[in-house]
Amino acid sequence: MSEVYTFAYDLDDAMRPCGGSLRFSRDGRVSALLDGVVLFGLDLDGAEEASVLAGVGCGLVFLKGKDGEERVLCRFSMSGLVPAGEFCKVVNYYIQTGTAVIPDEKEERVCAKCGKPLMEGMSVCLFCYNRTSLIKRVFALLRPFWRTMVTTQAFMALSSVLYLLVPLFNRILIDRYLEPMTGPAAHVLMLAGAMLLARSLGEVIFVLSSRVYNRASIGFANHLRTLAYDKLQRLSMNSLSKRTPGDLIRRVMEDTNTIKDFITDMGRWGLEQAVMFIIVLTILLFTNPWLTLLVFLPIPVVAVAMSRFWNFIQIRYERQWRRSSRCNSILHDIIKGIRTVKAFGNEDREIQKFAYETRKLAEVSSSNERLWALLFPSMVFFTGIGEFLVLYFGSDSILKGGLSVGVLVQFTMYITYVYAPLRWLVSFPRWLADAMTSMVKVFEILDEEPDIQGKEEPEDVPLTGGVRFDGVSFGYKSYEPVLKDVSLEIRPGEMIGVVGKSGAGKSTLINLLMRLYDPNAGSVRISGADLRDMSPRHLHENVGVVFQDTFLFAGTVYDNIAYAKPGASAEEVIMAAKAGGAHDFIIAMPDGYNTFIGENGHTISGGERQRLAIARAVIKDPPILIFDEATSSLDVETEAAIQDSLQKLTKGRTTIAIAHRLSTLRAADRLIVLDKGRIAEMGTHVELLKRKGIYYNLVIAQRQTGKRA
Amino acid sequence: METQTTLTGLAEAIDLGVMDPSAAEFFETPGGFTGLRYNGVEYKRVSLRRAMPIAEPSGYISVADHENKEICVIRSLSDLSGGQLRIVSGELDRRYYCPEIAEIKSVKDKMGYVYMELRVTGRGRIYDKNCAVKDVNRNIRMLGDDRLLIFDADGNRYIVPSLAALDKKSVRRLEPYLF
Repeated sequence: MSEVYTFAYDLDDAMRPCGGSLRFSRDGRVSALLDGVVLFGLDLDGAEEASVLAGVGCGLVFLKGKDGEERVLCRFSMSGLVPAGEFCKVVNYYIQTGTAVIPDEKEERVCAKCGKPLMEGMSVCLFCYNRTSLIKRVFALLRPFWRTMVTTQAFMALSSVLYLLVPLFNRILIDRYLEPMTGPAAHVLMLAGAMLLARSLGEVIFVLSSRVYNRASIGFANHLRTLAYDKLQRLSMNSLSKRTPGDLIRRVMEDTNTIKDFITDMGRWGLEQAVMFIIVLTILLFTNPWLTLLVFLPIPVVAVAMSRFWNFIQIRYERQWRRSSRCNSILHDIIKGIRTVKAFGNEDREIQKFAYETRKLAEVSSSNERLWALLFPSMVFFTGIGEFLVLYFGSDSILKGGLSVGVLVQFTMYITYVYAPLRWLVSFPRWLADAMTSMVKVFEILDEEPDIQGKEEPEDVPLTGGVRFDGVSFGYKSYEPVLKDVSLEIRPGEMIGVVGKSGAGKSTLINLLMRLYDPNAGSVRISGADLRDMSPRHLHENVGVVFQDTFLFAGTVYDNIAYAKPGASAEEVIMAAKAGGAHDFIIAMPDGYNTFIGENGHTISGGERQRLAIARAVIKDPPILIFDEATSSLDVETEAAIQDSLQKLTKGRTTIAIAHRLSTLRAADRLIVLDKGRIAEMGTHVELLKRKGIYYNLVIAQRQTGKRA
Repeated sequence: METQTTLTGLAEAIDLGVMDPSAAEFFETPGGFTGLRYNGVEYKRVSLRRAMPIAEPSGYISVADHENKEICVIRSLSDLSGGQLRIVSGELDRRYYCPEIAEIKSVKDKMGYVYMELRVTGRGRIYDKNCAVKDVNRNIRMLGDDRLLIFDADGNRYIVPSLAALDKKSVRRLEPYLF
């Protein structure tokens, strides 16, 4: 274990870039060094807390003393934000416990190998990711499809070889029969027949084998997608929330498809073209090495020009892609917000905005198409110069008697077979790069270790409902704790109301109890068992939850209620609906429980949505119920009605309810008041009123607004 | 005669809370923060936040206490006297850090991320900085026709005050990402 924990800061007091270090040593001192000179040294005896204060593009670490005095320790650019948070954690642990725990490993934000910064949400360095190992891994995934793919590829190569026979027959036809004008018609017919046979056989083999091949490659894509989606479902909220939904969808759908395309085309065209190229080259060299040289003469020039142009073109197409993605997002935005647009009468402005973007897209696309229309034919032309050279020198040779007509015809026919793979080779690097990008992204998902780990051998004790928070601290970002040292004991069957201002940590408390996140310090236990020791499945079967933002899936009302208990009987579903006060409105709909509700339940009102969510939470009859602002969208009367039925249901069940409307919590046995991440007050309604603290003020404030309304 | 109902305008209904410069005294604390004495109350640490940091950096600056509760709004820095102005601008400089890009040495588009080697000027000092930009559509932002902001993956920001004043090579490297 090291003696000192260091945070390297990069801005001095005047915000000039510098190379300083802030050190915490085992004896409980914090000191700052700048260019080898000690700026100050502080004893942590009189300190209360070290914190990070984020500015814009920069931040600072400061120490708050027990006397309330605050002192800036150092300043840093945003690159130092995460390590600064880690530094504060180490210091605060010392302040709280008096013991210095100096972690050996720091979470590095730069690649250990090349020192370049790691991208946000990425755990591997894009610059150092080993290409061969990547491709090896893709091939490992291909294993179940391997045999089919190789066999069909062999058949495809065979079909190409059959194609290659045609020019050979041509040569024989011309040199043996046509030019000397001697051949019997039957022989000519036989040759023509052989050509036809080779062609059609090649075609049939190709069609059949590519059909099998496609099936295998689609199977592979499906396999990859399923793997990625499977992993996605298992990842913790922590890793999921680091990425946007669009990013994740892209990885599962598009990136897997790109990999599939690469494998398919590589396998099908790549091998075929390589086989063709080698065979044709051999034939050409054997037939006439000098003419072969002429064929390849323009290739190096074209290859260099092509690769130059590619960069240029790629940038232009990239820009087009961006323009089009911008149009898409405007469209997406406006269609989603069409109600607002119409309500403010802004249709014309939106039309103009979109028209401007599409016009820009059209401009970029047409300029790109113009360029492409010029470039591509010129490339083909320059590549084809070899053909002219062959024709000229070949004819010259024929006239001088050095070459037969048949050989020249065969030559010119083979030339096309050489150019195709060459063109393919030119675009290959770009293509490989695209596929690599997708591979990295997909493997990142596949490789990510869920940080909420189920224990190897979980101990699933029966959960009766006693909940205990033991010194729990937690923050979504390490430098911003949301809950600070929360300890709380809830007896089985007790109803607890949680109140506090927004941002006080109420929902976070629930998230920890649901184990959507693990606490940074301390433990959460149910019936004496640490959540980390039981299987997540066991936990979620025993806890019913209604979130603030209820999510309904596209499906029927019935499906949505039964979501928590697949296979629930009709009776159970109706009972649950009644408990949640949803039965009355469901039964009033023409299709009753079979009413189809669209994505996220847009077809029903907010209050109805919440009632369905309550029904969903209670259907599995869990010993613990959690309501996070579950009745906030309901009018007071409906809320009261639901509360009566819920009260029967919550009897004997541990219930934790968060509510802003304090009347919702009147049945609670105990109330907990959270303030800035700590439990500020705890007790019954009457006790807390007597204390005249935060709760008292909240009650008075709500009464006054109630009266005014 | 038409009877007129009086309509309360937004300006009458809402108090912007503009600071009275004569009642305010900013001071520097020994700990390195900025404090304020205003209308007889002393705040040991205030934070200054620009309402429109890009469009109007020297106007509408919100002054808040250590819990981010707004105390008042400075309508314009020009309302402040010399000494006060120095303290307030100093605090703003320490809260907003955005080095200027002097040169773009290389731009590499790799696997969906853009990696840049920059030469930047931060408070008069020139230094090299490497950064990675994710989602260039959102994180390379044109401010009008000539100014440009770049946000890197760490949350740092860099500004190009004038594209026209930047050297041609740098502009060409940046070009594909501007539109």
